Amino acid sequence: MPNPTALTPYPATITKIDVEAGDTKTFTVVFDDPEIMENFGNQPGQVCMLSAFGEGESTISITSSPTRGKFLEFCVRRVGRLTSVLHQMEVGQKIGVRGPYGNGFPYEMMKGKDLFFIGGGSALAPIRSLIDFVLSDQYRKDYGKVEILYGARSMDDVLFKSDLAERWPAIANTGIYTTIDRAEEGWNGHVGFVPPFIEEVAPTPENKIAIIAGPPILIKLGLAVMEKLGFKDEQIITTLEMRMKCCLGKCGRCNVGSKFICVDGPVFSLAQLKQMPPEY
Amino acid sequence: MESRVVNKGQISELLDKLAKDYNLIAPIKEETMTLFRRVSGAQDVLLDYNNSDISPKGCFLPQNEKTFSYMYTGDTLEINKPVGTQKTVLFGARPCDIKAILTFDPVFDGVKFGDEYYSSKRESTVIIGLSCAKVLSTCFCYAMGGGPCDTTGSDLLLTEIGDKYYVEVITEKGQALVDAYSQIIAKQDTAQLAKDKDELAKKLSGEFVRKVDLTGVKELMDNNFELPYWAGDDQKKCIGCGTCTYVCPTCHCFDIFDYTTGDFTGDRLRCWDSCMFPEYTLEAGGHNPRPSRKERIRNRFMHKIKYHLDRYNMVGCVGCGRCVNKCPVNIDITKIINDLKEVAQNA
Repeated sequence: MPNPTALTPYPATITKIDVEAGDTKTFTVVFDDPEIMENFGNQPGQVCMLSAFGEGESTISITSSPTRGKFLEFCVRRVGRLTSVLHQMEVGQKIGVRGPYGNGFPYEMMKGKDLFFIGGGSALAPIRSLIDFVLSDQYRKDYGKVEILYGARSMDDVLFKSDLAERWPAIANTGIYTTIDRAEEGWNGHVGFVPPFIEEVAPTPENKIAIIAGPPILIKLGLAVMEKLGFKDEQIITTLEMRMKCCLGKCGRCNVGSKFICVDGPVFSLAQLKQMPPEY
Repeated sequence: MESRVVNKGQISELLDKLAKDYNLIAPIKEETMTLFRRVSGAQDVLLDYNNSDISPKGCFLPQNEKTFSYMYTGDTLEINKPVGTQKTVLFGARPCDIKAILTFDPVFDGVKFGDEYYSSKRESTVIIGLSCAKVLSTCFCYAMGGGPCDTTGSDLLLTEIGDKYYVEVITEKGQALVDAYSQIIAKQDTAQLAKDKDELAKKLSGEFVRKVDLTGVKELMDNNFELPYWAGDDQKKCIGCGTCTYVCPTCHCFDIFDYTTGDFTGDRLRCWDSCMFPEYTLEAGGHNPRPSRKERIRNRFMHKIKYHLDRYNMVGCVGCGRCVNKCPVNIDITKIINDLKEVAQNA
């Protein structure tokens, strides 16, 4: 495994850029040193620090599953200074990557269970690594039915359009439910916010783990719906984000109470979250 | 371990020698401020000081530190890390500030992730502490498990007694240093000096004016995150200047950013940061988990009296009193600790 102690990133090259939406691109990145790529050892749900030299670093979740090959995908929305620089970059250009950081999803404890994914907006990115992991040829047999409920503001804002429309539905025993906030011409799917849509789809809690990620308001309202549907705190898994600088538990800012999101998280069960102050 | 003696008349000679053999960091007077800087000899060193305005934490976590430099042309990328750490002596640090360095150790030398920049400095530095000669009105180290003559964390501790410095050797590192300078740091009968030091420690421990008792405060805070107290008048007066965090010897938060030095070149820097600034937790998307001073103040004080304890089993305050002394609106951690006890018990 690469030395994760250093604040020094490894040089890496952008090999592919997919435009997901008006403000979101997915960058495929490969380390320049094949040995680092080979031994990177990223787990679903982990994150990296991306460097755009001259601008600095940002924490970005790895959206690809390690089962898909020796590369990393980062789905990046253009919201700040560093992401704006990334969005101007082209295939062949170099960035710095260090990691992988964070605990990742507890996929061992999910074995033998049905999985219900809930994602809102750009938060499909961090859970996509686990979706692709459990749907991989290698691990598909270990998990039951895999359902994905995803909501975006508009048709254009829907991320991973081909995954949602083609790749995932083509895999046996999956269910995909998508919604957008307001009706639009050309959209035949559900219209409305994610929390009421969860209530409509009404997943049952028996032998099921729910993985929920989204903006704070979606998490708050979504969790209320899940509890109403009978899901226990241990059956609900979420991934948090906060501003980070080092991702090593030292720079201080991503603490929620005594926990650091970067080293103790970003993945927490609702049972764990309830032990923490609501400051995220 | 053993103890030795340095005659006051020879301290200049010792400092000059140390400055020659080591990168010597010692207290100096710079305009109106007392702080720790690299010195070239005894003439720069301020031995007669009570407590420096800025702690010597920068010796291990510099205010600005280059972690690497880069050359990036768009197609090619080169990253160069700084090499080599100088042998260093940190001289004249007060026991509270040395104890503060121990609170850094588990953060930077963590179980999960180390920090090469910190560890290399820590390993190559000999810490020579200097017992306090006076207790200030803002001091409360006794309440945080320390004391004006406490040896904790020092490699050597000097205590001024009459025309001598009583030298206690605490670690192997300290032993190696006294052995190398045994002509100045002399072997002598120190039985009387040891007694004198105990007397001094006893005398000083009775001079604290601030009454603080930390017992049970963490436990009270464990179940009292939401207290109206944090939005009270005492806290509202915070102007968010960040002074408390810069002068605090246990505050270790940092920012990381790039400083461009040429068309294709730059340095990656890490610099002290402050949890009192709104930008500290402001996310690019606009969300801020600690949006107002109430949350930021609560986080800072909870970090000192609970979070650091939870995580590393060490209280995150050493009682140096700098934040009490320097806060422009007189926010006082000792008052907060005492208030919290009362407030939480009645909650």
